[in-house]
Amino acid sequence: MKDFAVFWGCTIQARFPFLEKSSRIVFEDFELPYKEIDGFTCCPEKSLIDNVDHEMFVVTAARNVALADEKGIDIVSPCTGCVSNLATVKGELESNPKEKETVNNLLKEIGREFDGSAKLSHLVPFFHDSVGVHKIKQTIKKNFEGMKISAHYGCHMIRPSHALRNDDPIDPVKYDNLIRALGAEAVETDTKLMCCGQGLDRVDQHDNALHMARMKLKELIAAGADALTVCCPSCFLQFDNNQFLMMREGEKLGLPVIYFTELLGLALGHTAEELGLTAHRVSAEPFLKKWAALTGDNQTEINDGLNAVGEL
Amino acid sequence: MIKSNLDLKLLEKCAGCGACYSICPSCVIIPGYDPREVIKDILAGEFDKWLDSKHIWQCLECHYCLEMCYQHYGFENAMTALRTIATKRGKYPPQVKRGWDMFAKSSRLGEPAMPARKKFGLPEPKASGKDEFLKLHELVLKAREAEAKKTGTDRG
Ligand code: SF4
Ligand code: SF4
Repeated sequence: MKDFAVFWGCTIQARFPFLEKSSRIVFEDFELPYKEIDGFTCCPEKSLIDNVDHEMFVVTAARNVALADEKGIDIVSPCTGCVSNLATVKGELESNPKEKETVNNLLKEIGREFDGSAKLSHLVPFFHDSVGVHKIKQTIKKNFEGMKISAHYGCHMIRPSHALRNDDPIDPVKYDNLIRALGAEAVETDTKLMCCGQGLDRVDQHDNALHMARMKLKELIAAGADALTVCCPSCFLQFDNNQFLMMREGEKLGLPVIYFTELLGLALGHTAEELGLTAHRVSAEPFLKKWAALTGDNQTEINDGLNAVGEL
Repeated sequence: MIKSNLDLKLLEKCAGCGACYSICPSCVIIPGYDPREVIKDILAGEFDKWLDSKHIWQCLECHYCLEMCYQHYGFENAMTALRTIATKRGKYPPQVKRGWDMFAKSSRLGEPAMPARKKFGLPEPKASGKDEFLKLHELVLKAREAEAKKTGTDRG
């Protein structure tokens, strides 16, 4: 396997450092050749930056890719937005030699060059394709048999497909395959492909954002899902934090939201505390308790102080 | 300006199609959100009235319309074009402005949360490329200025 640089992105490092923690744990357990390199900036985020200045969107992303290009390594990210934005720009420059030349003329003045040799992958398709379902089944120590888990792919894991080529953009299967590889039932929903709606919070439309989160959560709760799994900090923010805000207003929700790396980490035998699940706003306890009962595990493993550090 | 941002030929076909309306999450969920109306106005050269509208910010950039569209074009392009024009005229939601300002100043949209990193036993984060980024931003602005002088137009 080729070495890769982890592109953490702004949101995970600024708001959800525990997601970095669980990612590192699974990288280590699978002995993946991950590197960390100096110099990454914001990917940049499309809705905020591209709308204001397309050229800055392009040169910033090109510079980030160039950092991996020049080391001859790939990029893997646990954030769908980062991969999608970097890939969108990479695709734009590869199909437009003139624009590529203009960008490289600018990058040259800071000693960089974009050639696009670095392959860009999101963590979920990366685990599916490069680590492989077979290897995952062999490596895990516990499975989720008897648990019902639903994947929210997140728009930018799979779209735009012309730039990403990660999975089928309207009928994706890889995340579901991974859930099944971990032994759980992959719950299918009508809202499977629906955008999480977090983008609406970024443009000051909080009520609409809540409305979209609610639709999905209600459907999943009605379908008897034990958890929703996501692998995008924006989707996590939407379903964990916004769900918490709705619950605080008295809405009956309470569906645990488990990051892909946390799910994998649990199956590898790590505790919820170790993985940082204790920092979620919506408690993961119902999920963990049911699982512990199914596996006959001693429940003392679940710390009473769960959710005590959720004020990050 | 709208012509440099959009392919009006494709948009004309789009105006006669409308197929992706029913799969667009914002169309289904948000009352009053209807890119078909916006596209009609763009083609009639009357898009100005949308620049102040909150609807142009309700496109989630989820790319669903793009994937479903037989032209691989999509509602999204129309909405993006209007947002770009709106921001050039200084019309954007406060949070977009805040995000952009933070990005332009620091190269990121947030700094690593140090106390929490410690709590989780995470190593020192790698250095950001802020200095190089600031230099790059300057170069882009300079090149834009030179270009504007050359052509006598303001590319904004
Ligand atoms: S990208 Fe925008 S217009 Fe297209 S389906 Fe998504 S919300 Fe609708
Ligand atoms: S975006 Fe494509 S599918 Fe949707 S209405 Fe326009 S032409 Fe039809």
